[in-house]
Amino acid sequence: MSVEIEFTDDHGSAGGFATEEMTLNMGPQHPSTHGVLRFVVKADGEVMRRAVPDVGYLHRSIEKIAEKVGWHGFMPYTDRVDYVAAMTCNQAWAMAAESLGGVEVPRRAEYCRVIAAELGRICSHLLAFGAMGMDIGAFTPFTHAIREREMINDLLEELCGARLTFNYLRIGGVAWDLPPDYAHKVLRFLDRFIPLVDEFDDLLSNNKIYIERLADVAVISPEMAIAYNLVGPNLRASGVDYDLRRDRPYSVYPDFDFTVPVGKGTWGSVGDCWERYIVRLHEMRESAKIVRQALEGLPGGPVIAKVRRNFKPPAGEVHIRVETPRGDQSWYVVSDGSERPYRVHIRTGSFSAMSIIESLSNGLMIADLVALIASLDVVAPEVDR
Amino acid sequence: MLEFLNGLAAANPEVPGVLLRVAGMLAFGALVVFVFILPVAGITSWVERRVWARIQSRIGPNRVGPGGFLQWLADGLKNLLKEDVIPQAVDEPLFRIAPYLVVAGFVAAFVAIPFGGSLIIADLNIGILYITAITSLVVVGILMAGWSSNNKWSMLGGIRSATQIISYEIPLGLTIFPVVLVSGTLSTQGITAAQGWAPHTWHMFHNPFLLVSFLLFFVCALAEGNRTPFDLPEAESELVAGFATEYSGMRSLLFFLAEWGNLYVIGALVATLFMGGWQVPRFTDDPTLLAVAQFFTIFLKAYFWVFVAMWVRATLPRIRIDQLMALCWKYLVPMALLNTLGTAFFMVLFPEGSLVVRIALVAVVLAIIFVFARRVRFHLARARGLGYGAV
Amino acid sequence: MREYVANVVQAATSIFDGLSVTFSHFFREPYTIQYPDRMPIPVQDTLPYRYRGFLDVDLEICTGCLACQRACPIDCILIETRKDKETKSMLIETFDIDLAKCMYCGLCTEPCPTGSIHHTREFEGADFSLESMVRRFIKEPVTAYKPKKKGEDDPVVAPILERGKRYIAEFADPKDDAPAAAGKGG
Repeated sequence: MSVEIEFTDDHGSAGGFATEEMTLNMGPQHPSTHGVLRFVVKADGEVMRRAVPDVGYLHRSIEKIAEKVGWHGFMPYTDRVDYVAAMTCNQAWAMAAESLGGVEVPRRAEYCRVIAAELGRICSHLLAFGAMGMDIGAFTPFTHAIREREMINDLLEELCGARLTFNYLRIGGVAWDLPPDYAHKVLRFLDRFIPLVDEFDDLLSNNKIYIERLADVAVISPEMAIAYNLVGPNLRASGVDYDLRRDRPYSVYPDFDFTVPVGKGTWGSVGDCWERYIVRLHEMRESAKIVRQALEGLPGGPVIAKVRRNFKPPAGEVHIRVETPRGDQSWYVVSDGSERPYRVHIRTGSFSAMSIIESLSNGLMIADLVALIASLDVVAPEVDR
Repeated sequence: MLEFLNGLAAANPEVPGVLLRVAGMLAFGALVVFVFILPVAGITSWVERRVWARIQSRIGPNRVGPGGFLQWLADGLKNLLKEDVIPQAVDEPLFRIAPYLVVAGFVAAFVAIPFGGSLIIADLNIGILYITAITSLVVVGILMAGWSSNNKWSMLGGIRSATQIISYEIPLGLTIFPVVLVSGTLSTQGITAAQGWAPHTWHMFHNPFLLVSFLLFFVCALAEGNRTPFDLPEAESELVAGFATEYSGMRSLLFFLAEWGNLYVIGALVATLFMGGWQVPRFTDDPTLLAVAQFFTIFLKAYFWVFVAMWVRATLPRIRIDQLMALCWKYLVPMALLNTLGTAFFMVLFPEGSLVVRIALVAVVLAIIFVFARRVRFHLARARGLGYGAV
Repeated sequence: MREYVANVVQAATSIFDGLSVTFSHFFREPYTIQYPDRMPIPVQDTLPYRYRGFLDVDLEICTGCLACQRACPIDCILIETRKDKETKSMLIETFDIDLAKCMYCGLCTEPCPTGSIHHTREFEGADFSLESMVRRFIKEPVTAYKPKKKGEDDPVVAPILERGKRYIAEFADPKDDAPAAAGKGG
């Protein structure tokens, strides 16, 4: 039951009826624009001609703040770049500062970072999974996903004292070592969580209605994905096998054995909404594998290197790329040798994902736009920063 | 009911019998509306929220009254006391009337829905036809609400609703045909009388086509009642709140009242048409006791399907408008036609029905339930298998 | 035709399976915590040791070194100190923390030499005015704490200092086995 809508320009006056396109204002307050996104939709009845994203409603000038608060003080702000997956943003900032200042990070700290970042990735993908189900109209997967997410939040709270804006990493390592008995708790969680991912499959992924809603909808070809600079799961769903953790390894990722899920075109074609969805679900399993390996191979030693409180890296610039749940997040940091960064620029995955929506929107239905936004996993704060 | 009215007419010869009957019907109708429909619709909202909550690992409303049972009263009171906001740019008369039409549409359906052997407001000889016709009044109200709201999301919702309900009238009507063929009457009481209390005498087990018909009827009825997976008119993630976007307070609640009330209509129709309605074994000669038993029988059967509708709603995603149409015209209508033809052929082959076929169909349904139970056990074991504990 | 039947079969089986998953949830326990009134123990007690709630200052062991004020990225801590001419000791005159501004990042607690400024497990602070969100810890000037070489002997200050030291130690080496997140379902 795929949509085949042919649109020509004279469609509007077919049959002698003079019809006109209507302009719908979707957002900034709309149930399916997670956060405050706004789309100006030109629609012919249910069928869209054009959806123009309007960004900037959640702009907090984080890049400018970095120039004022100093190297250590910017760490809590990086939580707010992408508050759904704060840990990876922490990691990017820490890596940038460390590579500028030539700080050697203890191995145990790197392991702690990976454990925290991968738990955060599961967290973020759970939210994406639940929100996707909810946007398609199934409410139950959302609460189930949030239920599991709460458990990870509990774990991370025990690790660093906060549930959303972690501020766990420091320049030179991590703030706290793993709490006592932490490995056991995490493993117990993973043991019960992974079978539940299969349950999510039975509940939602393989549902015929769900497949019909998503398969072959808003197909992004690999060429288009690269041209629009899609990153992360969105890129991999289009069949491009590229993951920074494997292809440009950073931290201690080379130590771990994991596979990178790529879109296969199970129900529709490679690069449709369903593939983007299922790639995330598979990534949760892979992240769980990484966490397991990291906990098993956890080395001893300190968790933070000696870094001066008045941290002044030498003048220079650095470009750091980190695989966040929403893909390749690149940080360009310039230091002029003072106690504050001279310039910070962040390029995030959600922003490029937003830019592709306009070119995909022609001929989609309004319900498909909702599915498309959800499948791209656009997080509003990451778009605007 | 009729006997009672006849007796009343005999006792008061000075009053014309017709008048008494009309007065009796109206009185019983009013009784049904206030004592039955409104509480049932309200309680359904509470039950739905509890059922949803349990499926979603939550608790649901549990503060007002025992187990939150009085939540529906509290919500109703709250909404009655709220300001009835009428936006400036709306088409005011239509905007005000629309919720009443919606409620009228579903309340009027209760005229021909039996509550027991003698408990029915009016045993119309075209009962089932009347119900399918009168429930279409709901679409007028929804369309009116969507149009008069002067809001594009509302209008989209209203138009979706009109498209949906009008299209699904056709397969709905076609799935009723086989039942009418088998029982030979359109009257709801007549259809019930053609069945017995034992499961194998129900219409849904009459022949394989009727079993399919029964499933199709339930699907179409869900679509008629704007329930998930067919809740496109008020698709929350797409159209904000669809046709109800601009409504507030009690007017908004009236739409939901109609939705929950409609659930009972759906359940009662399924029970009447396919599941033997109020038929109970004749265990006593006391007419009052029998009437009570009959009432509870049909109520429980109907409420089972209300529960299934809630459960389906908590499980399935929403389908898209073009898929909705494709499902209707490519799948439901042809299959419903096939069922009508098949039932007709079956009745030529077995004019008296076939006990073997009936027993076999009951066995098939039992087998499906068994497989289902196994599957549920499998899911429970998987979730608990690895030290998961009770979740 | 084959596709037609396959579609119907796939729809039926997948919906059947989905329904079985949801039905199985009737036999699982709900997960809700009915905060705040129906908790077996107060929420504060279920929070881990590292929980970053409201900031609190133990003035008995505050050295007035201003390290926390400098570490704060949003300047929500205001400390004013003055040298007392007569006793040659430092007086802390103001110690304000604007909890409305505070983002609970914990950066101020790390450089504190004695663990005087620390996070509590309190988090319920809703109020009607911004003004009341400013916690003023000092009413009258207090003498700053001076670390003693041979250890603290004052019976009042010693336990507080011990707690503070333990709090700082947490950053490097966890000792306290925080109460497990009890009462959080599961």
